[in-house]
Amino acid sequence: MDNSKTLNLNVRKDFPILSKKILEKKDLIYFDTAASAQKPNTVINETNDFYKNHYSNVSRGVHTLSVESTFRYENARKKVQKFLNARSENEIIFTKSATEGINLVAQTFYEKFMQKGDEVILSLIEHHSNLIPWFFLRDKYGVVLKFANIQPSGEIDIDHFNSLFTNKTKIVSLTHLSNVFGTELNENAISICKDKNVPILLDGCQSAAHLKIDVQKLGCDFFVFSGHKTYGPAGIGVLYGTENLLSEMPPYQGGGGMIGDVSLEGASYAELPAKYEAGTPPLVEAHGLGVAIDYMNKIGLDNIIEHENEITKYAFNKLNKIDFIEIHGGDNKRNSIISFNIKNVHSHEVSSFLDVEGIAIRAGHHCCQPLMKHLGVNSTARLSFGVYNSLEEVDKFVIALHKCKEFFNK
Amino acid sequence: MNDLINDLYQEIILDHGREPRNFGECDPHNKSADGHNPLCGDNLKLTFFLNDQNIIEDIKFTGEGCAISLASASLMTEKLKGKKIEVAEEIFNDFTNLVSGADEDLKVLNEEDSLYALKGVGGFPMRVKCATMAWHAFNQALKD
Repeated sequence: MDNSKTLNLNVRKDFPILSKKILEKKDLIYFDTAASAQKPNTVINETNDFYKNHYSNVSRGVHTLSVESTFRYENARKKVQKFLNARSENEIIFTKSATEGINLVAQTFYEKFMQKGDEVILSLIEHHSNLIPWFFLRDKYGVVLKFANIQPSGEIDIDHFNSLFTNKTKIVSLTHLSNVFGTELNENAISICKDKNVPILLDGCQSAAHLKIDVQKLGCDFFVFSGHKTYGPAGIGVLYGTENLLSEMPPYQGGGGMIGDVSLEGASYAELPAKYEAGTPPLVEAHGLGVAIDYMNKIGLDNIIEHENEITKYAFNKLNKIDFIEIHGGDNKRNSIISFNIKNVHSHEVSSFLDVEGIAIRAGHHCCQPLMKHLGVNSTARLSFGVYNSLEEVDKFVIALHKCKEFFNK
Repeated sequence: MNDLINDLYQEIILDHGREPRNFGECDPHNKSADGHNPLCGDNLKLTFFLNDQNIIEDIKFTGEGCAISLASASLMTEKLKGKKIEVAEEIFNDFTNLVSGADEDLKVLNEEDSLYALKGVGGFPMRVKCATMAWHAFNQALKD
């Protein structure tokens, strides 16, 4: 508890939005980091500084500003490479979002390696952004999708997952950390893919700022995450892919910046990573993401994880003792996310009620409608924590929950 | 308790949210539409019977949703039952204005109406869609 308090004192002041009063009087308690994280001053100031003092297009001009912009953009790539422990900068593709990264892989991987009747394995807990890009392949090209079941604990049923493989399975795409349960992917899922020599994409939207990521150790072939969930700007995403696969797959979009040589008869394409970065990229946002990574490194990812684990455990134990609360997923370890319902109260009501108390939580299906159907609920309320949250905030939240329950069951 | 919350959740809303009136499916019906809020997953099915004098003889709904969406649907069916289509359309327009804060200029609704209880939704812009889901389904059914 002491550690967590100390950490709080050090970082809360870094986030200007945390001093905002909700409805003019309530302190903001931000428990919606899984939807998007708040931004530290350093990210806000550095992106401002980029526009004020260094801005120009990247990789094109030869003038001073172009050099300064390009340096910042490419330096951000280096930071991401280290953050993920990728082998090379060529394996880091900047996209506009994690969603774009998944779409990129689905389309180009299909084009190079798949045909009608080939199979993709997904799971029931996937976010819509890791479902719909693959639905497109099913609808357009006759690709077959298979879905791994989940256990009551919220984890993928590994035996069922294993049983889905056939000689037509070409790629697997799974969430690394469930945005509903906060449960981490069982590592066996990745080793099964390795054993069967089937590439696996990990959706790292929720894990990137809440677990230590080492793509080499994980052994994944693709990994996507978004800047805005890792304390960076919105509008920037990252696709990591092994150089082998990225080299073999065709470009995703055509345009400036991704070409080698163009004549009216055709074009050759740029080397990695430019090959997948058609058009002017979100260069300031990429820089902002790099600054966010610096910020997390400065605090220390281990400290952040320890801090969040402590809060998550604390909140879980408190909620678990309340008889009118139903927590989704089992008692297993969860990272920074807890989904729950107040019995007989819709999550919208919970969220509106808490909003007036200054507490921001997410209510709804969390872009996981198939999972909601499986859970037999229409929606859930979701708490999610970031580096700036505290145990005291959890205490205030629990008091507000009791008031909420009382109000709606009066 | 906070005024905003009390305005949003007036007793009549909580009551209709807990026990929606006209819950079910009209038999027979000649108009129907589905309401859906893709942002949260709430949904409903609205059915009604429009007779040859263009009067809504019966109107019912089923579905799942929050107190605001259920209460709004429930109050809507109470209000529209027995109304001529032209009047119902005016109520629809008034209601959408009411919950989006444009309530200076209402033609047929007034403060005596139970639907006025939903005015508090205006204080929660993200909940307006909850309150209007059933109404948009009604409007859709008229067009189909």
